[in-house]
Amino acid sequence: MFQPARTKYRKAHKGRVHGKAKGGTTLNFGNFGMKATEPGRVTAREIEAARRAITRHIKRVGRVWIRIFPDVPVSRKPAEVRMGSGKGTPEFWIARVKPGRIMFELDGVPHQLAHEAFALAAAKLSVSVRTVTRVGEGGEP
Amino acid sequence: MAETITLRAEARDRAGKGAARAARRAGRVPGVLYGEGKPATLVSVDPRELTRELHKPGFFARLVNLDLNGTTHRSLPRDVQYDPVTDHPLHVDFLRVNAGTTVTVAVPVVFTNQETSPGIRRGGMLNIVRHEIDLVCPVEAIPDRITISLDGFEIGDSVHITNVKLPEGTRPTMARNFTVASIAAPTAVRDEQVAAAQAATAAKSAADAAAAAAAAGDTPAAPGAAAAPAAGAAPAAGAAAGGAKPAAKK
Repeated sequence: MFQPARTKYRKAHKGRVHGKAKGGTTLNFGNFGMKATEPGRVTAREIEAARRAITRHIKRVGRVWIRIFPDVPVSRKPAEVRMGSGKGTPEFWIARVKPGRIMFELDGVPHQLAHEAFALAAAKLSVSVRTVTRVGEGGEP
Repeated sequence: MAETITLRAEARDRAGKGAARAARRAGRVPGVLYGEGKPATLVSVDPRELTRELHKPGFFARLVNLDLNGTTHRSLPRDVQYDPVTDHPLHVDFLRVNAGTTVTVAVPVVFTNQETSPGIRRGGMLNIVRHEIDLVCPVEAIPDRITISLDGFEIGDSVHITNVKLPEGTRPTMARNFTVASIAAPTAVRDEQVAAAQAATAAKSAADAAAAAAAAGDTPAAPGAAAAPAAGAAPAAGAAAGGAKPAAKK
C-alpha cells in the first residue's frame, strides 16, 4: 500500500474537501482514465484494491498509472475511550480527491477491456467515478 | 495540410466573467478572437458544433473560418478551457492568422504498422511519450498529423524526433533529440527478467558463501542454503512495509 516515506508532522487536521480539482484533470499518460465525479477521501487500501482489480482484469498486459497518493494521516481513538486526552493515534492514510481528478490511467489495452477494468476498480472506491478516453480513441477530450 | 473547418459565431458585447456566464446560461460557449494587431473581438459559438470538432484529433492544428455575422475570419484555435468534471468546453480562444504567418502548433502523432513491429508482436507495449509534437510551421502548411511507422521496431527500441520525417517547412520547437515513443517490455517479460536477476544474485551469493566456507576449512554449504533466505527476504520486507502504520515517530 502507498504511504509517505517520511512526514514533517505526524498528525493532520481532518479538513473538508471543497470545490473542483484544479490540476490533474486531463489524461497525461494513457489513453483511458478514471475521473472522480464527487469529492471524498480515498484510503490507501482502496487505491491498492482498485489497482489490483485493474491489473488482474487486464491480465498483466498494458500499463497502469496511479495519479493520486495517500499523504494525509487519519487518526482514531481506541474503543471505549472517553473524549479528550488529546488526538488519537494515526491509523491509516488517505488521499483527498476533488471532483474532476484523474485517479487512474490505463494504456495498451482495448477500449472494452479498459472500461471493464475501471468498472471493477470503481467498485472498490468510496467516490463515484466515470471513465474518460483520449480524443482519437473514440472518447471525449 | 490540415483541413479548414467553419464555425458559426456570434459577437458578444461585454467582457468579464458575468457576461461569459450569461453566454453559457444562454446555451453558448464564450470565446475570443484576437491577433494581427487588431483589437480582440468577443464571440460565442454553438457548443454542439464546437464539441463535434473537439472530438476529432488535432483540433489545434486545423484552421477555422470563423463566420462572425456574415464576415469570415481566418483563425487558428489556441486554447480551450474545459469543465474539470464534465469536460464540457467553457471558453475557446481563436488567433487571427494571415497568409505567411508562422505559428507553433501541436500536431497529433499517429503510429502505423504496429502489426509488423516484431516488438509489439512479441507482446511489447507501445509507450507513447508524446501524443502531440509542437511544430513551428507556416499557416498554409500545418500538417494534419505526423505518421510514424513502427515497422521493424523491437522491444526496448525508441523513436526519437530525429528518426521522424517531418513535413517540408516544419521544425520542432525543442532543439534536443527528444523521445516520441518507445516499445516497452510487457509486465510478464519484466517479471521474468526480475526473477532471473534475483536468481542470478542468489546463486552468486551462494557460490561466494560456499567458497568462503571452503577457504575456512568448513564443510561447503548446500547450494540452496544461502539462496533461500535471500529469496525470502524480499516478500518479508515488502509485507512489513505494506502493513506499517503511519509513521510512528515522536
